[in-house]
Amino acid sequence: MKIACFVEAYNFDDKSERNALLKFKSTAESMGHLFEFIFKEDITRIPEYDALFIRATTDPSNSAYIVSRLAEQSGLKVIDDPRSIRTCSNKAILHDLFLKNNVPSPRSLLFTGDYSQENLDSIFKTLGCPVVIKTPYTRFSSHVEKAGNEKELIEISKKYLRKSKVLIIQEYVQSHFDWRVGILRNKVLYLCKYCIPEGGWKVKSKINGKNVWGDTIAVPRDSISPELENISISLSKCVGDGLYGLDVKETDDGYKVIEINDNPSIYDGYEDTIDTDIYEKIINALVS
Amino acid sequence: MIIVSEDEDESDSSPLLFLRQPVHDSVLNINHDYRYLRMGYYVSAHAETYGVEVTPDCTEIMDAYRNPLLIEKARRYGLPTNGYRLVTKPKDDLSTPVMLLAVNPFTNNSMKIVKSGSKLPGMIKKMSMDSRFPVSLHPVRGEVLEIIQMFGESSNDETSEFARRFFEIFNIPICKLIVQIDDGNVILNHCEPALRKEVKWDIVHEKVHKIKQSI
Ligand SMILES: Nc1ncnc2c1ncn2[C@@H]1O[C@H](COP(=O)(O)OP(=O)(O)OP(=O)(O)O)[C@@H](O)[C@H]1O
Ligand SMILES: [Mg+2]
Repeated sequence: MKIACFVEAYNFDDKSERNALLKFKSTAESMGHLFEFIFKEDITRIPEYDALFIRATTDPSNSAYIVSRLAEQSGLKVIDDPRSIRTCSNKAILHDLFLKNNVPSPRSLLFTGDYSQENLDSIFKTLGCPVVIKTPYTRFSSHVEKAGNEKELIEISKKYLRKSKVLIIQEYVQSHFDWRVGILRNKVLYLCKYCIPEGGWKVKSKINGKNVWGDTIAVPRDSISPELENISISLSKCVGDGLYGLDVKETDDGYKVIEINDNPSIYDGYEDTIDTDIYEKIINALVS
Repeated sequence: MIIVSEDEDESDSSPLLFLRQPVHDSVLNINHDYRYLRMGYYVSAHAETYGVEVTPDCTEIMDAYRNPLLIEKARRYGLPTNGYRLVTKPKDDLSTPVMLLAVNPFTNNSMKIVKSGSKLPGMIKKMSMDSRFPVSLHPVRGEVLEIIQMFGESSNDETSEFARRFFEIFNIPICKLIVQIDDGNVILNHCEPALRKEVKWDIVHEKVHKIKQSI
């Protein structure tokens, strides 16, 4: 089989991301498949392949969406497929999906700029204080901020509303790490703890003006609690049957799903340290 | 069927109210702008989350609004196009006159026509935002026209049959189409949001009224 892996130049900047890409390639080749990296300019060559694996950042606004949709239409097996990209890239749509499917998650509201005192009071009454404000398109924590009072909420939301018609405001859920549940074809593929660095509240935090990432601790996938597995699989089934990474907080009040990502990061020496067969399993999903 | 619109008299719900409620019925989403991250898009996404039929659905929106997807779909259904070429940087073998369409998140009023070869590299650099996004290039052979398509009707008589076929294939209730008239043939180049004031709302109203009566 011929597998195209859609990447952009930045996917090769970080050594462990680059090494993971090379592991995908060597794994596919050792299984008897062709595995080629393709870039934006190769989009029209998609019909030459049997399967497409997207590792460039996905978003309905990006080239990755076009690649994914063209591949789907040409009959290729596609990870990440267009529907998964559309659903997972947008936190307003995820908010809706969580509500509809009763996914345990932080209490959460859509905000479109109603600054009446009544609405502001009701936000803090419903969600408590502080609250977390996000734009639908945030990624790498780029547009996620905490507001500890009305003034901060107004400031942050006004800034975000300049670029988006809707925002998501959530209850703040405290934790020391996020579970990252890697899912492939509605089965658990890997399990990690994405730790929150000391002094921050996000996995990627700005501390004293500097970006700091917390540690990644891989955990055997078989050790996942039945409840977390259940929540994760039910949610992934609502999205599709591709490759996903769920972020889930564990609290006294049970698990709270923060989000489901398509295109989850897989870095050499991070997600793959315990369950080392994830490359093989993904290639298998692409060719079968 | 629920009609969701800000502008249509027979609308059952505004987009904003619609987003806050569960949906149990099929949806006709009428908007002059279905761009990703806009209200028109969210209405369709909300309907899809609830598993109901919606016109247009998000796949249809994206297929129409992203230029390479538009042209590929048109080709598949036999709607005439001049083809496209995607580039992210200037190339030696590009000919003019050429129409440039940005394939980036901000595709509104993005069409540029370049007549002289010497201006092309600069324009590609600008529209690709320094090679970050591809630019779709279409040859210019005929007269370039912008029309407003409303439920298969065109704002321009010469293109009425074309608008009918476009709506049949793409299922987008309202949009602006950039076309070329070449030797009497209408050729599709681009689809983008219409401005609210460009839409003939009386035509939309008549169509919606008919749809409502037929169910
Ligand atoms: N309601 C919440 N309460 C507490 N922490 C939160 C909440 N929502 C998100 N976070 C934390 O903020 C960070 C980013 O959140 P989120 O995933 O929603 O945004 P993102 O832009 O997709 O970021 P990333 O790509 O880093 O996951 C994560 O580390 C997450 O644990
Ligand atoms: Mg995230």
